[in-house]
Amino acid sequence: MALSTSDLKKLSWQLRADLLDMVYQNDGHLGGPLSSLDILNTIYFSDIFKFSKKSPKPTDDNFILSAGHLATALYVVLAHKLYFDKKKLATFSHFKSILEGHVSTTVPGVSYSSGSLGQGLSFAAGLALGNLLDKKNKFTLCLTSDGEHQEGQTWEAAMFASKYKLKNLINIVDHNKYQIDGSLEDIMPLDDLAQKYISFGWTVKEVDGHDYKKLLKIFQISKLSNYPTCIIAHTTFAKGVSFAHFDYKYHDLKNLDPTLYQLAKNEISKHLN
Amino acid sequence: MKSVNTSIRQSFGATLFKLAKTNKNIYVVDADLKSSLYLSEFAKVFPKRFIEVGVAENNAASVAAGLAKTGKTVFLTSFSCFSPAINWAVIRQSICYNNSNVKIIGSHSGLMSGSLGATHQMLEDIALMQVLPNMEVFSPADAIETAKIVSAVSRSPKPSYIRLVRPDTPAFFPPKLSFTIGKSQILTKGNITLLFHGPIGHLAFNLSNTKENSLEIINCSSIKPLDSKTILKSIKKTGKLIVLEDHQKIGGLGQAVSSLLLENKLAPRFIHLAVDNQFGRSSKDYSKLYDHYGIGIKALKLAVKKLN
Ligand SMILES: Cc1ncc(C[n+]2csc(CCOP(=O)(O)OP(=O)(O)O)c2C)c(N)n1
Repeated sequence: MALSTSDLKKLSWQLRADLLDMVYQNDGHLGGPLSSLDILNTIYFSDIFKFSKKSPKPTDDNFILSAGHLATALYVVLAHKLYFDKKKLATFSHFKSILEGHVSTTVPGVSYSSGSLGQGLSFAAGLALGNLLDKKNKFTLCLTSDGEHQEGQTWEAAMFASKYKLKNLINIVDHNKYQIDGSLEDIMPLDDLAQKYISFGWTVKEVDGHDYKKLLKIFQISKLSNYPTCIIAHTTFAKGVSFAHFDYKYHDLKNLDPTLYQLAKNEISKHLN
Repeated sequence: MKSVNTSIRQSFGATLFKLAKTNKNIYVVDADLKSSLYLSEFAKVFPKRFIEVGVAENNAASVAAGLAKTGKTVFLTSFSCFSPAINWAVIRQSICYNNSNVKIIGSHSGLMSGSLGATHQMLEDIALMQVLPNMEVFSPADAIETAKIVSAVSRSPKPSYIRLVRPDTPAFFPPKLSFTIGKSQILTKGNITLLFHGPIGHLAFNLSNTKENSLEIINCSSIKPLDSKTILKSIKKTGKLIVLEDHQKIGGLGQAVSSLLLENKLAPRFIHLAVDNQFGRSSKDYSKLYDHYGIGIKALKLAVKKLN
């Protein structure tokens, strides 16, 4: 059963709470996973795309996480999807845990292992092409970060998807405007990202990446395109933990101060129940 | 002997900063990893000599090569799983074939990357780099040797690769020893020759104190050019060899040494402790990985026992 906008919103705070605990206990990325969470939640918990409950099925749509360091966000979503026991979240990046430090196919529901940026959109394009050739009625969704649009390969994929008219390919860009060492503006500006995708022959939509109503609508529309679709989701870095918003120091956490953890937890908890 | 842990990456950043104060020709081309490589200070004090390309390792390698052709000594900084891994063919052409004065700094090498998992545990970098004509390859044992190697390559006009690691590691390189390109150092004398490169050598160093573990430990931080003379001399004497490295067996130091041995008609008893044709995996504590992949203290003790 599909979740309503308000159900999705409610769930998103539970996901954030679990993500925070996971990262607090074991280190890992925070800013990007929190900014991409509402997008992932919409993909997996609305009924716009097919992602089976409890265990993934071969007939499900494809999802590719290109930016492998966002693993924690996908892991909490898949845990809530009941693909594996939620208790396992506490073992993130431990020896012999299925939850590898960067996204890995050892986790049920993950179909691409990654950690090196810039390759996922090409992989997704290959999947989408295969499905088209086999006349499989399936969508391939790919989540890319804005930082990985600095990699040339991302644009090679964009060109390719256009040539092969991959109308079953949807790339969602988590456009949080930050990367490891600063803002994209300072490190390497992307300028007008939408215009770039348009000139590569894609259908382009821009959306507030935390507004469920709008996300649902955009995803619906993108299924109807005759071209590959790029959804540029404008997001807030570290969304939900205000002291970390727009602060690239929280890109990657090591030994988060317990008082800051409590502060973050309190802020998130306010939205629960 | 318990040694303190120090940061190889921090030593790199601090050394380069120090060198750059007097050598105005030193430039950095970075791919969104300056804080991880301790280059924030460099970027702040020498903004004109710090070039940020973003997450774009292919572009970075050719930009660095072009910049070097204007008479500069360029340090290309990233993690080894991205540079030289992603941009290998670019390094081959723009840097090696065109003989450009670029020093490739690849951090997060080996299983030592721990929790980050297989994608960030670069185990093939030595293989990729030592195969290239014109390229020199170095793997410092600790923070102290890192400083010495970075200084040495800054004075050479040749392309080189320096392999760094993520965690703080034991300081065991004798501070008074010097580093010379193409030379290895004998750290202890003994009955079994043990060759290593990188911080993993501390395992052997800790073991070498007792009588039953009489090791002739040779630090092969200069992997290319390799110090054949010192290595061959030791093996001729001992007739027993262990090579220990946090790298794939294929293409690592062990293979370079084995062809050297055959060419010189030597056939010592030989155990190569390296990762055998597998990808890494996550673990917060890398020593668990060392045991799992058979390059840890247990495997080393067993190898010594077998050769005794
Ligand atoms: C090819 C490659 N180069 C460098 C890195 C190191 N790295 C990890 S995350 C990151 C940048 C993060 O920025 P972005 O991709 O926009 O992610 P976000 O800020 O949303 O987490 C970098 C450079 C990498 N993973 N892959």
